[in-house]
Amino acid sequence: MSVHASINDLVDDRPGDQAFHVARRAFTDPAILDLELSHIFESTWSFVGLTTQIPKPHDYITTFIGRQPILLMRDGQGHVGCFLNTCRHRATIVCPFKRGRQKFHVCRYHGWAYDSAGKNTIVTEMDDGQYPPSFKDADRNLLRVARFENYRGLLFASLSADVPPLSDYLGDAKAFIDLVADQSPVGELEFVPGEITYTFDANWKLQFENGLDYYHFNSTHASYVDILNQRAKSGTSGPLPQEAPDEMEGQGSFSFDHGHAVNWSIKRQSRYGRPLVIDPAYLAELKARVGETRIKWMLRQRNLTIFPNLQIIDISSAQLRTWRPLAVDKTEMTSHCLAPVGESAEARRVRIRNYEDFFNPSGLATSDDNVMYEFCQTGYEAQAGNTFGHLRGLANGPISPSGHAQELGISPVESAFGKPAFGGETNFHPGYREWRRLLQRHVDGGADA
Amino acid sequence: MLERMSSDLSQRKQAAEAILFLEARYLDDKEWDSWAGLYEPDAEYWAPSWLDEYDTADDPNTQVSFIYHNSRSQLQERISRIQSRKSITALPLPRTLHVISNITASEGENDLIVARSNWTTHVFDPRAQKQHLHFGTYEHVLKPSDGQLRIARKKIVIMNDRIPSVLDFYSI
Ligand code: FES
Ligand SMILES: [Fe+2]
Repeated sequence: MSVHASINDLVDDRPGDQAFHVARRAFTDPAILDLELSHIFESTWSFVGLTTQIPKPHDYITTFIGRQPILLMRDGQGHVGCFLNTCRHRATIVCPFKRGRQKFHVCRYHGWAYDSAGKNTIVTEMDDGQYPPSFKDADRNLLRVARFENYRGLLFASLSADVPPLSDYLGDAKAFIDLVADQSPVGELEFVPGEITYTFDANWKLQFENGLDYYHFNSTHASYVDILNQRAKSGTSGPLPQEAPDEMEGQGSFSFDHGHAVNWSIKRQSRYGRPLVIDPAYLAELKARVGETRIKWMLRQRNLTIFPNLQIIDISSAQLRTWRPLAVDKTEMTSHCLAPVGESAEARRVRIRNYEDFFNPSGLATSDDNVMYEFCQTGYEAQAGNTFGHLRGLANGPISPSGHAQELGISPVESAFGKPAFGGETNFHPGYREWRRLLQRHVDGGADA
Repeated sequence: MLERMSSDLSQRKQAAEAILFLEARYLDDKEWDSWAGLYEPDAEYWAPSWLDEYDTADDPNTQVSFIYHNSRSQLQERISRIQSRKSITALPLPRTLHVISNITASEGENDLIVARSNWTTHVFDPRAQKQHLHFGTYEHVLKPSDGQLRIARKKIVIMNDRIPSVLDFYSI
């Protein structure tokens, strides 16, 4: 069997037969993870940071795209560059720190220096080095990533040039980034200081799926639901946003090109306090600026996934999380509390408390998810054939029109809407189609070459 | 005079040591209610995040914490979640072993005792057959109340802050 055929077999996608299955091996085979790292993570757009993380000249942060170390710097002119964090001399990481401000980065191995624009400014003992003539003229600057673009202050990089412009890549998913960014009077997002990193012993696609999975909530988070109910009873929930009485309650999703999707829900009685509704003046300003319809959407729970490894959750707080696979059964998560620049101190305080309450390995909900992923990982090892894990919502075909997309002026490639207990799973499908496309693109390209 | 000072000091240290060791035992023995009972009703319980390689967060209202609570009832919420047997993080509960050392105690304002110590918690997960070690420093502010010491504030610095899957009050 060719590799191509075997990738094709991993996703059994037959819309005509209302069938969709992902092979268990996609979660457990280390050879597949190697392909994913090379041909998905290191070949498509990845979120790498916010412009507000490096606001001043010479600010920098470091991160990873797949396995590859990345250095983002703002140069003396204020331009942000994204580089491979590797010395041109003999590969050492040039910057070993998470974040900071430096005009120059000196590689400590042999002392080569680079400025904040990535330019190689010093080769130590160059004249005595008996270098061949070609060396003197060689470009020894830090290597820039193939593509680097910004949408609303979210910085994305691609190690492959073979990607569409970022705006096309994000497509209508941009509307859901806007719904977060426009909550700020200056239209900017920032991370609340304090990054949290954690791992779980399971495949990264369990996180990808879970971020789009409303079905699990009442079961996985039963203990958290109890706490929410208890708080509602004792009146300690904080200010709760209300839907208009004529809104139909339910759960929906939109899916976009390139595997992105968003889940959202309309509940007449929200269980979550929202930082946005704490300050009436702020809310009034926001209403005047963005209008009734968009503020309604801002106050709805929205779980956005930008394929392959970015999720933005806007609920009782906002979280931005990314991940990178460390092994087929080990994933490293990075989590930030995301906030509109310019909110009040009290809204910020509540945002932080709500974020800690729900998210992270120390939160009352995410910790349950992490353990569930590990249970799944063990379970996927069973040679038990196809699961029934991607079927909810298939009966209604790819589009079940509900008028919701029109409210936002978007044209998703698929949309779904159902009762509050719907818990659709078709919103995972576009991600798996993009997954298959990127892996097959490599295999096809490899066969041609 | 010198003798009295040193005897005060050793008394303070002994009293602090006793409550720190008792807290560790309650946690490891899963006597959660007794554990929460060591805290004042308005106690602050704080495990800050790290801002960078060197500094932890110093303001819970503008920076992220792993855990920040400012009442005993929030600790009790965490306990009830574990006891409900509805949280998969507690099915089964890991076995934990707290070790506390290097305790120093100094006198704060209003008869408060400020105790600093080093801690490690060994965590064994019998489901996954995996073990983790968390470690860091504690700062306890202890308050005499009803003839005994209670915890008015506990700050927990977690040195190894890349967290495997779950972190809860019993693992730090
Ligand atoms: S590896 Fe960087 S100077 Fe030699
Ligand atoms: Fe969850």
